[in-house]
Amino acid sequence: MTHPAHQQINRDLLRPLMQTSWRFYALVALPAALVVAGLVSWFTQMFFGFGISGIRWPIFWGFYVTNFVFWIGISHAGTLISAILRLVNAGWRRPVTRCAEVITVFALMIGAMFPIIHLGRPWLAFWLFPYPSERLIWPNFRSPLVWDFFAINTYLTGSLLFLYLPIIPDFAVARDHATGLRRRIYAALALGWRGTPRQWHRLETAMQIMAIAIIPVAVSVHTIVSFDFSMAPVPMWQTTIFGPYFVAGAIFSGIAALLLAMAALRKILHLEAYLHPVHFENLGKLLLVMALLWGYFVFNERLVTYYGNGPAEMAVFWRTQRESFAPLYWTMVICNFVLPLSLMGIKRFRTITGCVIASIGVVIGMWLERFLIIVPALGHKYLPYSYGIYRPQPVEIIITAATFGAMILLYALFSKLVPIISMWELKAGDHPPADLIPPATEEHPLGELRL
Amino acid sequence: MDRRSFIKLTAVSGTTAALASCGDPDHQLIRFVPDEDIIPGQAVWKPSVCPLCPSGCGLTVRVMDADADVVRNGKAGLLHILAAKKLEGNPNHPVNRGGLCARGQAGIQVTYHPDRITQPLKRKGNRGDGAYEAITWEAAIAEVVSKLNEARAAAPEAVAFVGRGGESHRNTLIAAFLSRLGAPAPVTYELFGDDVLRAANGISFGNEQLPTFDFANSRYVLNFGADVLGTWDAPVAHARAYGEMRQGRVGVRGRFVQAEPRMSQTGASADEWVPVRPGTEGALALGLAHLILKNGTNANGTRPDPRAVSSIEGWSAGLPDYAPDAVEKITGVSASRIERLAREFTGESAVPGMRALAGVAVIGGAALAHTNGLFNALAVNALNALVGSVGSPGGLSFTPQFDVAAAATLPGVARQGRTLQQLASFLLSEQGADTRALMLDGVNPVFTAPRAWKVRDALNKVPFIVSFGSFLDETSILADLILPDHSFLETWSEAVPESGSAIAVVSAAPPVMKPLHETRATPDVLLEVGRALEKPLELPWQTFEEMLTATLTPLPAMTDGSDTWTDVQEKGGWWGTLPAAVRLKPDTTNTVRLKADTTSTPEFDGDAGQYPFHFLPYPSNQFLDGSLAHLPWLQEMPDPLTSAMWSSWVEINPATAAKLGIEQGDVVDVASPHGTVQTAAYLSPGIAPDVLAMPAGQGHTTFTRYASGRGANPVDLLAPLTVSTTGAPAWAATRVKIARVGKADGRLILFAGGMREHEEHGR
Amino acid sequence: MPNWGMAVDLDRCTGCGACVTACHAENNISTVGAEQASRGRAKHWIRVERYWEGDFPDVSLKFRPVLCQQCDNAPCEPVCPTYASHHTQDGLNAQVYNRCIGTRYCANACPYNVRFFDFFNPSWDKPLHLQLNPDVSLREVGVMEKCTFCVQRIKAATIEAKATEQELKDGDLQTACAQACPSRALVFGDLNDPESDVSRLSRSPRGSKLLEDLGTKPKVTYLSKQA
Ligand SMILES: Nc1nc2c(c(=O)[nH]1)N[C@H]1C(S)=C(S)[C@@H](COP(=O)(O)OP(=O)(O)OC[C@H]3O[C@@H](n4cnc5c(=O)[nH]c(N)nc54)[C@H](O)[C@@H]3O)O[C@H]1N2
Ligand SMILES: Nc1nc2c(c(=O)[nH]1)N[C@H]1C(S)=C(S)[C@@H](COP(=O)(O)OP(=O)(O)OC[C@H]3O[C@@H](n4cnc5c(=O)[nH]c(N)nc54)[C@H](O)[C@@H]3O)O[C@H]1N2
Ligand code: SF4
Ligand code: SF4
Ligand code: SF4
Ligand code: SF4
Ligand code: SF4
Repeated sequence: MTHPAHQQINRDLLRPLMQTSWRFYALVALPAALVVAGLVSWFTQMFFGFGISGIRWPIFWGFYVTNFVFWIGISHAGTLISAILRLVNAGWRRPVTRCAEVITVFALMIGAMFPIIHLGRPWLAFWLFPYPSERLIWPNFRSPLVWDFFAINTYLTGSLLFLYLPIIPDFAVARDHATGLRRRIYAALALGWRGTPRQWHRLETAMQIMAIAIIPVAVSVHTIVSFDFSMAPVPMWQTTIFGPYFVAGAIFSGIAALLLAMAALRKILHLEAYLHPVHFENLGKLLLVMALLWGYFVFNERLVTYYGNGPAEMAVFWRTQRESFAPLYWTMVICNFVLPLSLMGIKRFRTITGCVIASIGVVIGMWLERFLIIVPALGHKYLPYSYGIYRPQPVEIIITAATFGAMILLYALFSKLVPIISMWELKAGDHPPADLIPPATEEHPLGELRL
Repeated sequence: MDRRSFIKLTAVSGTTAALASCGDPDHQLIRFVPDEDIIPGQAVWKPSVCPLCPSGCGLTVRVMDADADVVRNGKAGLLHILAAKKLEGNPNHPVNRGGLCARGQAGIQVTYHPDRITQPLKRKGNRGDGAYEAITWEAAIAEVVSKLNEARAAAPEAVAFVGRGGESHRNTLIAAFLSRLGAPAPVTYELFGDDVLRAANGISFGNEQLPTFDFANSRYVLNFGADVLGTWDAPVAHARAYGEMRQGRVGVRGRFVQAEPRMSQTGASADEWVPVRPGTEGALALGLAHLILKNGTNANGTRPDPRAVSSIEGWSAGLPDYAPDAVEKITGVSASRIERLAREFTGESAVPGMRALAGVAVIGGAALAHTNGLFNALAVNALNALVGSVGSPGGLSFTPQFDVAAAATLPGVARQGRTLQQLASFLLSEQGADTRALMLDGVNPVFTAPRAWKVRDALNKVPFIVSFGSFLDETSILADLILPDHSFLETWSEAVPESGSAIAVVSAAPPVMKPLHETRATPDVLLEVGRALEKPLELPWQTFEEMLTATLTPLPAMTDGSDTWTDVQEKGGWWGTLPAAVRLKPDTTNTVRLKADTTSTPEFDGDAGQYPFHFLPYPSNQFLDGSLAHLPWLQEMPDPLTSAMWSSWVEINPATAAKLGIEQGDVVDVASPHGTVQTAAYLSPGIAPDVLAMPAGQGHTTFTRYASGRGANPVDLLAPLTVSTTGAPAWAATRVKIARVGKADGRLILFAGGMREHEEHGR
Repeated sequence: MPNWGMAVDLDRCTGCGACVTACHAENNISTVGAEQASRGRAKHWIRVERYWEGDFPDVSLKFRPVLCQQCDNAPCEPVCPTYASHHTQDGLNAQVYNRCIGTRYCANACPYNVRFFDFFNPSWDKPLHLQLNPDVSLREVGVMEKCTFCVQRIKAATIEAKATEQELKDGDLQTACAQACPSRALVFGDLNDPESDVSRLSRSPRGSKLLEDLGTKPKVTYLSKQA
């Protein structure tokens, strides 16, 4: 596959950093407004009491925990995918990796907000952290919520590193092209990158280590998130399948998110020359595989429950299958299975538009999946006298919408400050001429790029 | 220095501090000096008496120190008092033996209610719009005195009194007050009262009194519609005995059958529920009697009490009209089932060991509130007499009752006069015009009496109304003067339970705490008024306490070595064997007249074509007739059958509802020829297809922040029919129609999610 | 060390609800009002479940008081990140309001749905606050509350017994619900004392545990209604 010449790359990919048009402000205005609305809602909830939400006896988790699982799921787009692609050294990955990794970092940040937002007394959230209090009171390490704390923090730190390392050379380029304050900022961020062979060598090794290390972390994160449910004796929650089921779902929704991000960048930043249909097609195939995997897990979960025919489980089962929650359930099935299968399964539809439509479906479907795991089960737990119906309230809906706003906002700001496509990897990608790469020597396997 | 002087000291410094701090002298925080010994954090237990229903359960009140905001002669301040904290059942009291019903538990909220009337009020503005101004007790009493003087001068009939029923010192004092005044005896009214059963017992057993049931020793209980475990008569006593009947005896478990068209809380506990057509309970009872007479299987061979059976036509002939097939036609209960019930009731089918034990029949509630209620009661009495359950273990008996009038040496004081209906029509007639003054004592007839009686209009005819109640309600808001009573915890509380105990009981206890507000005990107010009249009434006591001392001290001490009066104050009453002199003589003067015209078939108001449903209002488990709807704990307590909170509803059979397109919670109009109410539908499998049932209690327009404007009142629909030969309202004799108005709008608030434990999904 | 337990005789229970109000009175449970009640915020530490069976005319109703079962293997305990829900020496499932940060995880984990959340700060229209029991702390917004087996009564009685150097006799100590129950359907006591009423009843052939198969090891025994 061919990319523009290197000077062209620099010009194209540094343009968003160097110049800002009114369009940019127009673009960020709406998401920014959403975020503000979300913050206001949250403080209103703290001020008037949790009661303004729709949470009730016995459905004590609703939109907030749904969003938590959803965004942690989305976060599996980047780091995991790009790590795998790096390890298998898929050449086509080069323009994709960074916009993927960015999603991870921001999705994690947003997701990690919810364990705090959903607290009855958020101002005491720090009691979840293991800090040496003067009372020598530690959190309960048996609680999955405390596991979440560790898992998410590890993944966030790892992802940040994994994102930052390969940006260093690009920061250097930005530094060299920028002037004044910008120059000093990029200089600081570039950590004095000179592109010496030793630096290249270190970078490559670090990338290798991170790529390998991050994969088990990513897998463990969503497994632990699934433990929040499977550890509690709630009908349809306590099942061994939840670990892999959640991880698969996470990657599934992650790829969808990535496809949407790429399509947006391509349009808005005019990166047609870099993000080719083939990228979409390849990721589309990945989406297809995940859709099949997801269907496989759902089928498992459903059949085993149905066959077991436990009274408590069946109450929940029928609520989703053919009673009150059926409309949502079948929407989920269409969005997560029927749609991606029919679009991504047929080559003719595996276009950019096709990918976008399928991805939108999957994002919606996966949000519904999390909602349908949490709410119907809590509303129909064992003793029918204590059944209940959950109705989300404005505060929850606004905060949910705000998270999407936050994602867009952060993404826009990032692509304004950092080349959203890894320039050096791109350049290194298309077998550059000899004058660019001298023959590799013993101590520098990759040789020194003259950028 | 001792604690007293210490507290004084802090009081003073507290005052000065307050004076220094805030300007407005009316609102400065004053620490009043408590005039009682208080040990901080130390709980004390004191006896009291639950006033919320006539059964007169004994209480044990937990009392601890607390800081109360009070107003004392115009100054707001803080008073460190001993305050009631929790009401428990008095474990030694023969009626409730330590138990307490939900209403009794909530009784404490009467005392601490935010909307209690805290001082004397005088009406300003128009009658009924609830505008009042505060006046001093002196002014208030002076006004009552002058009005009574006028009235008395005008005519002896010129003063009327409407109060609570039941034997008690308070009511005896009121009766004495009125008779000395030359006024007619007090009018007592209770929507769900039991005068019909009293009358029937007068005829059948020569005893106009409610029966006491020995369920604890019963083999078999056949209950015709009495909510004995929920709201009827002495529910706590019944429930206690019920528990014993079920599991209190080794190897013996009493069987319990309930016959009623709408499943009550009691019916829900029965082993067998027999939906009998409304008003045909008596026929069913005689159906059983017919078979028992035929088979000659009278349990213990005793000859039935002639009075009981002679009141039933055709008894000597073996009740030919009540053969099973005939009874099946009347009651809708199959002949075979009637035969089985008869065998079970007599113990024929019981295991040998149990045969000896008595079976007992009970009647109450709606069964007495049909036009033929008296007949139904007489029939059940006869059935009991037939199987010899009267006076025998496991059967029914009559609690020896303390005769307050006799003990107080007030001979010839009529305890009960006209019925409310008679009073109302009298006030609306010409002669009614010269009634100058009317007194209300904690009753709300405007809310609970059939609209056709026009109680409101009648009361409005009276130029001067004084109320002693503690709350503004639909009736007391008509008062020109309000002299608020203490709450039962702040004064001498007493009652003479009519039933629920094998031995005689007088519940009586001294105040458990200082009055929170500037209220006064009504009996003491009456005594004071009596003294202040132009021609003083010369009642023999200065205070109510004196009256109690006078009547109770002569009784034999409960624990030997101690004097009765101290005993009473420690134990919260007196119980034991009554000296004959002060034992209430059975009053059977009017029984013969009663027997004459007793209709056996129920009449219903409203054309069956236009109004296809029988309408059964019933006393709510939380609010009874509505007098307790102001207590938040009871409003939020889920109703036993529906789990409804803060709501009112009409119960309808699901099949009927389906026909009419009515779903759970839908808004419906229930209409009779006398009115319409709008409420929510509750689909209940426990009600006959041609019956609608509705709890009383909600639908208040004026009754504190918690009850006002909430739900609907079934009384609005009631026909003015009365039970034949007794003046009692036949509140179960109205026919109604129902129509769907709209879909569920959230007015029916249920705590429960599911209705059934095992759902059928079908796979 | 005693092991507190309860027996619920369904053959005695009449569904009257006295236990429900008694618990409100003893434990300072705030009433939430009609609007909040309709939104599922009513707090009834003990509730009397009622289930319809069959259809008219062959219909019957079943009552079952349900309170915290004080499970010996309580699912609500391990999931709590702050130990606010934890097990005590004498076998109670304790709830430390000050420790609770309101994750509501415990309530999800509790199979009996007997945990209730404070959605708002409690309030009492004066002078209703005078009814409050000084032995029971109030719960602020955002914390979880539930039946404590009237721990304040347990503590008071055991301390008293210790002070007066007397054995705590069976029946000396009653929970508010058991004390109120008119039909004596609720019996509370020490399961470690084989002679106590509650031990005797817990051994009854009519006895069973609620949702026993979940392995929560409840300390409340239900005695079935006899036919
Ligand atoms: N007005 C007034 N002031 C007083 C007193 C009084 O009677 N009246 N009493 C005085 C006395 S004797 C004392 S001991 C002090 C007590 O005063 P504090 O030491 O403040 O004790 P608390 O207010 O009980 O608890 C303080 C905070 O600790 C939180 N907490 C609970 N568990 C933990 C935990 O694991 N970690 C952390 N970080 N916080 C936790 C509680 O939620 C609470 O908000 O107050 C003194 N001040
Ligand atoms: N729910 C809850 N309970 C708690 C705590 C909590 O945070 N929450 N905190 C605990 C702690 S740390 C403590 S220290 C204790 C404190 O609890 P307590 O020791 O009970 O302290 P107070 O309640 O402040 O004071 C007790 C009584 O002493 C009276 N008093 C005031 N001054 C004097 C005096 O000079 N002489 C005498 N004889 N009496 C006086 C007061 O009027 C009050 O009635 O509470 C403990 N209990
Ligand atoms: S039965 Fe009547 S007297 Fe007894 S506690 Fe209940 S309300 Fe009070
Ligand atoms: S108080 Fe006793 S009888 Fe009444 S509902 Fe509760 S447990 Fe049942
Ligand atoms: S019943 Fe629920 S709250 Fe009580 S101990 Fe068991 S799990 Fe915990
Ligand atoms: S709500 Fe409170 S008690 Fe329950 S798990 Fe969370 S912190 Fe623990
Ligand atoms: S034991 Fe105490 S806390 Fe538990 S339900 Fe009974 S009264 Fe309430």
